[in-house]
Amino acid sequence: MNHAHLNLLIGLAMGLNLLALGTSRLPLLIRAMSAQGVILGVMPTLMERPDWRVLLVAAATIGGKGLFIPGMLRRAMRTVQIDRELEPLIGFVPSILLGAGGTIAALALTPMLPLLPEHANSLLVPGALATVLTGLILLIGRTKAISQACGYLILENGIYLFGLLLIQAMPLMVEAGVLLDLTVGVFILGIIVDRIQRAFDSLDTRKLTALHE
Amino acid sequence: MMYEGVVVGVAVLLLGLAVVAGPWWPRVWLGLTLAGAAAAVGAAVVVLVTGNEWEWRSGFLIGGEGLHVRLDGLSGLFVVLAAGVGAAGAVYSLGYWAERQYPASAARSRTWWSGMVASMLLVVTLSNGLHFLIAWEAFAVCGYFLITLEGEKPAVRAAGWLYLAASHAGTVCLFAFFGLLAAKSGGWELGPMRGDASLAPMFWLALAGFGMKAGLFPLHIWLPSAHANAPSHVSALMSGVAIKMGVYGIVRFSGWLPLPAAAGWVVIGLGAVSALLGIAFALAQNDFKRLLAYCSVENVGIIMIGVGASMLARGHGDAPWGRLALAGALLHVWNHGAFKALLFFGAGSVLHATGTREMSRLGGLWQRMPWTAGLFALGAVAVAGLPPLNGFVSEWLIYLGLIDAVAGKQASALAAMPAAIFLAMAGALALATFAKAGATMFLGAARTKPAAQAHECGNWMLVPMVTLAGICLGLGLAPVLVWPALERAADVWHAGCFASVVVPLVTLGWVQLGLAGLMATAGTMLWRKVRANNLRRGPTWDCGYAAPSARMQYTSGSFGGLAAAWFGWILRPQRMLRRVRGHFPAEAIRLDRVPETMLELVIQPLAERVMQLSTAVRRLQHGHLSVYILYVVAALAALTGLVLLENVP
Repeated sequence: MNHAHLNLLIGLAMGLNLLALGTSRLPLLIRAMSAQGVILGVMPTLMERPDWRVLLVAAATIGGKGLFIPGMLRRAMRTVQIDRELEPLIGFVPSILLGAGGTIAALALTPMLPLLPEHANSLLVPGALATVLTGLILLIGRTKAISQACGYLILENGIYLFGLLLIQAMPLMVEAGVLLDLTVGVFILGIIVDRIQRAFDSLDTRKLTALHE
Repeated sequence: MMYEGVVVGVAVLLLGLAVVAGPWWPRVWLGLTLAGAAAAVGAAVVVLVTGNEWEWRSGFLIGGEGLHVRLDGLSGLFVVLAAGVGAAGAVYSLGYWAERQYPASAARSRTWWSGMVASMLLVVTLSNGLHFLIAWEAFAVCGYFLITLEGEKPAVRAAGWLYLAASHAGTVCLFAFFGLLAAKSGGWELGPMRGDASLAPMFWLALAGFGMKAGLFPLHIWLPSAHANAPSHVSALMSGVAIKMGVYGIVRFSGWLPLPAAAGWVVIGLGAVSALLGIAFALAQNDFKRLLAYCSVENVGIIMIGVGASMLARGHGDAPWGRLALAGALLHVWNHGAFKALLFFGAGSVLHATGTREMSRLGGLWQRMPWTAGLFALGAVAVAGLPPLNGFVSEWLIYLGLIDAVAGKQASALAAMPAAIFLAMAGALALATFAKAGATMFLGAARTKPAAQAHECGNWMLVPMVTLAGICLGLGLAPVLVWPALERAADVWHAGCFASVVVPLVTLGWVQLGLAGLMATAGTMLWRKVRANNLRRGPTWDCGYAAPSARMQYTSGSFGGLAAAWFGWILRPQRMLRRVRGHFPAEAIRLDRVPETMLELVIQPLAERVMQLSTAVRRLQHGHLSVYILYVVAALAALTGLVLLENVP
């Protein structure tokens, strides 16, 4: 019933992907990521008749992805006093082009996938693929640990989108577990970011190769 | 029935205690090791004499598998060998690797020694695949630590490393073998499983794995350097016993498994090639321990000729000549253990006295080391397969088997005839090899100062050598005494299938005794005659020169030229020659070197190619996290593409 609304939200999320790919400023990146998290959190309430379970998932997602995790990342950013991605491995314009190409490819490829008829008209699958791809481009193309963390979180958003296909089948515990994992992951990352900064005087993850063998 | 089992348990326990006592109390260690070896030999002899197999299954689980121990005729044979050489070497090592000379490694030597003997006893008695592998690995590792006792020398480390690598290459095959066997037969329990014909191809895996340890020809690459660089008591154990563990595996599993049709042909072929090429390489060596090591390849080849012949016999209606060949091979296992240990002890004694392994730096040692020289000569006669010693008896049995096979005029004659010819050639070359070794080391005049100042070894070293010489003589003169044990082992190998054969061993014994008596008498008379004719001592081989020097003697290289001439195609001798030229000639040089053909010209280039390839692959592994993620993405994209492509049509 809410297909149109849902598709609108997914379209928004896909737009945020491109924003995340195109920016060099970390606060904006974090904001795009958290806005995407909030949008994702709203979605279950549109897909299901909202009972307490769905509401709980939505609230936890919005709280976790929209507030708590971005808050921790901002803190880490302030601690190490870095707010720019200066030398990306993949430039910002090529990143946007890659992301846009990926989004188009996702839209084109989805009809080839063996999907259920009720998902055929939804943007869920292409949106999920495009978001995963965005996350991967960020992970590959950025050198600062905080941007990579954002890439990882956007990647997870894509997986979450895919998971919405199974919202009837997925138990609450799984959702909660994924969210908890994510939170702990970012928490640890916040600490590690600080450690990398202290050890190498930079957040450049390429310097971590000095640790191998 | 219980009695033997308890004794074997006690033996392993005593050796285990010896491992603990080794580092601190040498005498206590010696006592424990000797007691353990005596117990093991006692139990095995009871089994060999009475023929009562001892089998014990326990509910005690190791790695989820119940303990299963079996002491039958075949394992008994190897138990006697391992415990016997283990005990002799233990005594020898107290003199040879004494605390005073090797304060750093003497304690380690004792500990690993007992560990190695104990693990070899376990290898031949355990009857569960999983436990067999554990004992096998323990035995290989003990061997490594014994070889690298002098780990501060680069050559020793390289030899140890090569041994470990080769040993594990073999162990990989054995893991595959036992794993597949367990998967196919439904359990790790070992025992006769000749009924299931689908197991036959597994024999090839066993042959590769055990053949590596036994040092069959193309797989022998680790053997020369390991045996040459190890301390001599370790070389004796490695050569006399450790490589026999490989022989044990091949004999054991060729008896338990159904055999592929080609098995007998391949094994007899490998044996013949190992025998001939092993001794050819031995003849070309200048390092006397390396010479002995290659001679071990030859002897394993001889054993494999016998084993292969008996496998052939199984495929030809269980012909009785198979029993002869197998009995000969098994007796050769003992014989080689005895005379090769004796020879390595002798080599150790020379090394101890002179500090060099180069034969061309020795010479004339018999005057200073008469005992060592005499005992080495006795070992040389035995290893060359000459009567009246034990080497002759076992080779004679194998010859009998092969000749009967030829006389049988079946297809097997096609394998038996060339094998007999190869065996004969190997025997002749063995005689040449040991004539060379004996002549260059002990006869003539001393070539260098250390050789001239050599001294006889002490009693700790002499007693085990005399004992082993006595065993060689005893087995040679009274082979009839061990025949029942050999028959029992052959019965275990392939129960009740070979018809019994009558071997004129009593006659052989008398002939040997007569020969020995004749030689002793002739020798005594000659000695008397020489003494009566005013003995005058002078340099040997002075060839009419007015002022001969010790360097004018034949060197080991001059003997080795024989091998290089006949086997140049495989030995690939390298020669550097600067001739004498002009009226005022500069220094002239001639250097001969025989490379480790298989290792240097086959395995190493192959290994280098592999290294190049893997270095290229290693460039992918650089530590950049982003690029690793790219790999993952690329792999995912490729998989997606694959799936989509499959779905399209």
